[in-house]
Amino acid sequence: MNKKKVMSSIFYGVVLLIGMSSFLWADENPGTLVMETIDRGLAVLKDPSLKGAEKSQERKQRLWKEISPIFNFEEMSKRALGQHWKKRSPEEKKEFVDLFANILKDAYIGKTDTYSGEKIVFVKDKQDDKDYASVQTKIITNTGAVILVEYRMLSNAGKWQIYDVIIEGVSLVNNYRSQFNTILMKSSYKELVQKIKEKSGKETT
Amino acid sequence: MRRCVVGTLFFSLTAFFSATMLYAENMPITTSEELADEKLSEDSVSDKDIAVTDTEAESDETGQYGMEAETPLVKDTLQPFNRAMFGFNDKAFHYFFKPIYTGYNSMIPVQARVSVRNFYTNIRMPVRFFNCLFQSNFKGAGTEMLRFVINSTVGVAGFLDPAKSKFHLEKQERDFGQTLGKYKMESGTYIVWPFIGPSNTRDTIGLVGDTVLDPLTWVSWFFLKPIEGVGNYTYESVNKLSIDTGDTYESVTKPAIDPYTALQDAYLQNRMKRIKE
Repeated sequence: MNKKKVMSSIFYGVVLLIGMSSFLWADENPGTLVMETIDRGLAVLKDPSLKGAEKSQERKQRLWKEISPIFNFEEMSKRALGQHWKKRSPEEKKEFVDLFANILKDAYIGKTDTYSGEKIVFVKDKQDDKDYASVQTKIITNTGAVILVEYRMLSNAGKWQIYDVIIEGVSLVNNYRSQFNTILMKSSYKELVQKIKEKSGKETT
Repeated sequence: MRRCVVGTLFFSLTAFFSATMLYAENMPITTSEELADEKLSEDSVSDKDIAVTDTEAESDETGQYGMEAETPLVKDTLQPFNRAMFGFNDKAFHYFFKPIYTGYNSMIPVQARVSVRNFYTNIRMPVRFFNCLFQSNFKGAGTEMLRFVINSTVGVAGFLDPAKSKFHLEKQERDFGQTLGKYKMESGTYIVWPFIGPSNTRDTIGLVGDTVLDPLTWVSWFFLKPIEGVGNYTYESVNKLSIDTGDTYESVTKPAIDPYTALQDAYLQNRMKRIKE
């Protein structure tokens, strides 16, 4: 094979690849989407200009900006409230979604202060349906412990978003649902909202 | 010495391979009915099992509201006692264990603490080995046997874990409560034990079973005074906590609106996953 032929075949190969990748991009893969988001989040945590306790607030804000778009908080709230969701007025729903997002933000972004080089590895992803997928990852801690984390995703008009996170078999949404159920069995919805507000108030101060 | 090591290694390798070859396919204890069920629910394990009825899981999948179905309540007949115990354990964690392990943490480097944990893990091998056998997981049992031989010798009496780092043999987390669960024993009512934490009827029986299988029980029974035995267990749990830095407990209870329910649910969901495994 002469040089020209090799060059042209490489050229066509590249063109083909570019064409294919744009085709693949159109329908984003849940696995790559999750991993890209995680990588962007880790980049914020590793950023030397954002290191240190005094930059904590700024770092958290940046991190939240990077990762929050991938979460579908409305779907999460809906599932966490379960049967009680339907009884709520649109305003109440909106308020609840914001409160719940805040709780999750405080709980999980707050934990990143102790980040010390844990690795996050992609395991596999699976698309059950057209609209549902799960992405399995694992966190490897510095002492070698492995934590399995699975993201359940829902496609909304081609846009994949997380609606549940399952850590070592414990579903985040189910966990909150049982808490909300326990509270709502004894007290009213108002009291539940009050409790959540108190909680997020305590976290931010 | 070297001969001895090579000899034991050779022996265990042969034992291991014969074991795995004989039972390359682990014999399932599950009935065919469960297998079929597993196939169906493979991807929605947690949705389906934990406090969610089938109908709800189905309607969830179709993206409908479908949340009218009442979630079956967790059996918690001892709730007043359990809540009191949870409060006690929480206090014990925050005011007793946490200060201790924080101090211990600052004195002892993490590598040393991991070694201590490895040592205890290695001694506890019979618990995991026999439970693998009970669950007819012969591959797991072989792995545990091999791990024990490697770590007791090359791993300097279990302080190091070359079986994992060099041979990629993972520890098999098997316990008797899980075994009972695999044989379809109902979980029974939820119980919170002082110091031990969340459990249920099945796992309490499991805990007794594991204690019997645990060589440390026998050592403390025959050779140690009660106070030394208790000291040993306390030291072990402090050491364990110091590696985890209480993260698992706090990451469940801290973001929770109702910490008691959060811990209960997390415990039950996690156990369910382990039994399915």
